[in-house]
Amino acid sequence: MNIKAVSKGSKYVISFGVILLLLLMGTKLFQDKAWFLAIFFYLSAALIFYTYSISKNTPGKYLLPGVLLLTLFHIYPAFYSGAVAFTNDSNGHQLSKEQAIAAIVQDSKVPIDSQEPIKYQVLLENDSDKLFVIFKYDSQDYWLSDGNTVKSLMIDSKNISMDGTIKEIDGFAVLNTEQAQGQVSVLQNLVINLESGISLQPQDLESLEVSQPAFVYNLAKDELVNTLSGEIYTPNDNGQMVSKSGEALYPGWKANVGWRNFSSIITDKEIRRPLLAVLIWTFANAFLLVLFSFLMGLVLALIFNFPALRSKRFYRTIFIIPMAIPSVLSILVWSGLFTAETGVIDRLFNISTPWLTHPWWARLAVLIVELWSTFPYMFLITTGAIQAIPGEILEAAEIDGASALKSFTQIKLPLVVRTVAPLLVASIAMALNNFGAIYLLTGGGPTFSNSNGNAGATDILISYTYKLAFNAQEGNNYGLASALSILNFLMVGIISIYGLRKMKTMEGIN
Amino acid sequence: MKSVDSIKNRKMRFWLKKVLWRHIVGIIVASFALFPLVWMISAAFDVTGQISTQQLIPVHKGLDNFHQLFSNTEKPFGIWSKNSLVIAISAAGMQVIIGALAAYSLSRHRFRGRKLTLSTILIVQMFPQLLAATTLFLIINTFGKSFSILGLGHQLPLILIFGGSALGINTWMLKSFFDTLPTEIDEAAKIDGAGHFEIFRKIIVPLATPIFVVTFLLSFIAIINEYLITSVILGLDGNNMTVAVGLQQFIYGQYGKNWGPFTAGALLATIPVMALFIFLQKHLVSGLVSGATKG
Repeated sequence: MNIKAVSKGSKYVISFGVILLLLLMGTKLFQDKAWFLAIFFYLSAALIFYTYSISKNTPGKYLLPGVLLLTLFHIYPAFYSGAVAFTNDSNGHQLSKEQAIAAIVQDSKVPIDSQEPIKYQVLLENDSDKLFVIFKYDSQDYWLSDGNTVKSLMIDSKNISMDGTIKEIDGFAVLNTEQAQGQVSVLQNLVINLESGISLQPQDLESLEVSQPAFVYNLAKDELVNTLSGEIYTPNDNGQMVSKSGEALYPGWKANVGWRNFSSIITDKEIRRPLLAVLIWTFANAFLLVLFSFLMGLVLALIFNFPALRSKRFYRTIFIIPMAIPSVLSILVWSGLFTAETGVIDRLFNISTPWLTHPWWARLAVLIVELWSTFPYMFLITTGAIQAIPGEILEAAEIDGASALKSFTQIKLPLVVRTVAPLLVASIAMALNNFGAIYLLTGGGPTFSNSNGNAGATDILISYTYKLAFNAQEGNNYGLASALSILNFLMVGIISIYGLRKMKTMEGIN
Repeated sequence: MKSVDSIKNRKMRFWLKKVLWRHIVGIIVASFALFPLVWMISAAFDVTGQISTQQLIPVHKGLDNFHQLFSNTEKPFGIWSKNSLVIAISAAGMQVIIGALAAYSLSRHRFRGRKLTLSTILIVQMFPQLLAATTLFLIINTFGKSFSILGLGHQLPLILIFGGSALGINTWMLKSFFDTLPTEIDEAAKIDGAGHFEIFRKIIVPLATPIFVVTFLLSFIAIINEYLITSVILGLDGNNMTVAVGLQQFIYGQYGKNWGPFTAGALLATIPVMALFIFLQKHLVSGLVSGATKG
C-alpha cells in the first residue's frame, strides 16, 4: 500500500515534470515563430496530461510515448517533405519575403556625394570599456552610438571646445586621434543605421561617410525602386524581385511554386534526362540484386542442407559474416579493393579494369558488393523455407519415382518461392533505397557528362536526392529534393503495400 | 576383412561423389564472404599503408596504423567510439523500452483501433526514414534556433530520432514474442490483485529478457551502421562524428587515401560487433528466420 502510494506519487511528479518541460519548450518555439513545432509540443503536453491523469484507457498509456515520437520524427517529416516540395526552398531562397527585401535594401547602400562627411569622436565607456562614437548630425543635438543603438545626448556647452570637439563627458573617456588608432579594428566594422534609412560609417579616424540605400521599397505597390537608375523591380512567382528587363535581385525568398517542382521533373530537360537514367538504374539494380541474391542463397541452401556434411554449421557461420561487419566499413573496404590497377582485385587476378570509373564496370562493382552483403540473408531464409517443407511430401514424391530434378522443380522450388516471395518484395523495396552501398562505394559516379554535374551512372533515386539537397554544385535545392522524396515514398510505398498484401500479415493480425 | 574394405570403399566413394564438391563450393563461397575481412586485417597490420603494395601477408608488419589512429587529434578515434556508443546505447535502449511498452499493450489488450495501429506502424516503417533526411535536417535546424542542445551538431536530437523509431519492426518482433507467453499467468496475477503495469513489470519483462537482448542488439548494430541521418544531423566536424562517419574521413581526406589507420579503426570497430553476432548467432538467426518464414 505504502509502496503503491509512493510509486503513484513519483508517477505524478514525472508526468507533471514532462508536461511542464513540453509547455516551456512549446512557448519558446512559439516565440521563435516555429508554429507547427510549438503546436505539437502544446498538444503533446495536453495529451500526456489527459492520458495519464484523466483517461481510464489503459492501452493509451502504453502507446502514447511511441506514437508521439513516431509523429514527430516520421509522420511530420513525411508531411513537411510534402509541403517543402511545393516551394522553391533552395540556396538564396530561404528567407521570408520581408527579410529578403530588407536584405536587398541594406546591401544597396551607396555614399551620398552631396553630403559632407560628418566629424566624429571615439569614446570608451568607463564601466564596460565599450566603444562609442559621438557625432553631430541634422540638428544641434549630439548623437551617441555603439553601432547597435543610437540616442541623442545633451552636452553641457562648457565641455565643448571652440571648434565643436568635445572635451569630456560623464561616464566616458574621450579618446584623441592617436588613442583612437588603437580601436581601428572595431571602427572598421562599425555601421550606424539611422531611422531615416541613412547609414554612417567611419571612413577615417575623424569623419563618417554618409550613405543611403539605392533601393526603396514601396509597400503599397509591392515594388522596389532603384532611386539611382529609376528602374522598378516587381516580385515574380519564383520569389524574386525582377526588373522589366529581367534582371533579378538577390537574395530571393521562399515562395510557393505549386506543382512546379513536379512538373519540372517532366518538362525540364536538364532534370529529366539524368533522372530518367537514375530511375532506370534504381529499378534495374534492385531487381537484378534480389534475383541474383535469391538464386545464390537458394543454391547454397540446397547444397548445404545435406545431413552427411558434418561441417555445415561451420560454413553457415562463415557465410553470415558479411552480416556481422558494419556495412559502412565493409563497403568502404570494398571501394579500396576495387581501385583500378592498384586495387587488390586487379592485382589478384592480374587484370586492369576501370572499376568505379567506367559506367558498366561501376554498376557491376555495385552489384557484387550488394550481393556480398545480401546473400547471407537469402541463404538463411531459403534454408529455413526448405527445412520447413514437410518430409512426407518429398518421400511421397520419391516413392512415386520422381527424379531429384523433378522433385526440385515441382515441389521444393514452388514451396520455397511461395514462402519467401513477400520477403523478396520487401528486399526489393529495401534495395530501391540502398543508399549506403551506392553513396559510399561509387558516390553515384561516374558522373554523366551531360547532367548538370550531379547525377552519375550508379546513382539511385535516393542518392541523387541526397546530392540535390546537400551536395549540389549549383547550391542546395531542397524543394526539388523533397519532390523527388515524395516520388520515392510513393514508389517504395506501393511496392511495400503489395508485399504486405502478399505476406498476409494484415490478415494475420490477431 | 573384404566386407570392411568394401564398406570403407563405398564410404570413400560416397564422400568423393556427394561431399567433396560441397566442400569445394563451401571454400569458394567462404573466401568470397571473408574476402574484405581478410584484406581489412592484412591492411591494418601493414605499416606501409599503401593500397598499391598491399599483399595478403603484409611484408612490413607492425602496429603503426593503430598508433597513428590513436594519436591523430584531428581525427579522434577514441572520441568517435565514445560518440557511437553513447548514441547507439541510448537510442537502442529507448527503442527497446518504448517498443516493449507498446508491444505489451498490443499483445495483451483488446481495444478499438488496435488493428489500425498495428498496420500503421508497419506501413509508416516501410517508408524509410532516410527519405525524410532533408526534412529532419530542417526540423532539427529549427529546433536548434530555440534550444541549442536540440540543434544540429548535437547528439541528443539524433538519439531522439533513432529512439523514436521504436514503433516499427522492433515492436512487431516484441509483440510476436509476447504473444507466445501464456495469458494464464497474467490472469492468475490479475486475480491476485496485480494491476496492468505490475503484470508487465513483474511477469512479462522477466520472461521476455532474451528477446529484449536480441532487439537491443539488432537496433544497436543498425544505429552503429547508420550513415546518412547521422552525417546530416551531426555534421562533419571532427569531435562530433561517429565511428562510421569519421573513419570515412581517412579515405576521403584532402591528403589522399589513408588506408592504414582506416582499416585499423574498421577492424577495431568490427571485432566487438562480429563477436556479439557470432556469440548470439543462434538467437539472431532464429529471430530472422522465424520472422521470415511465418505466415
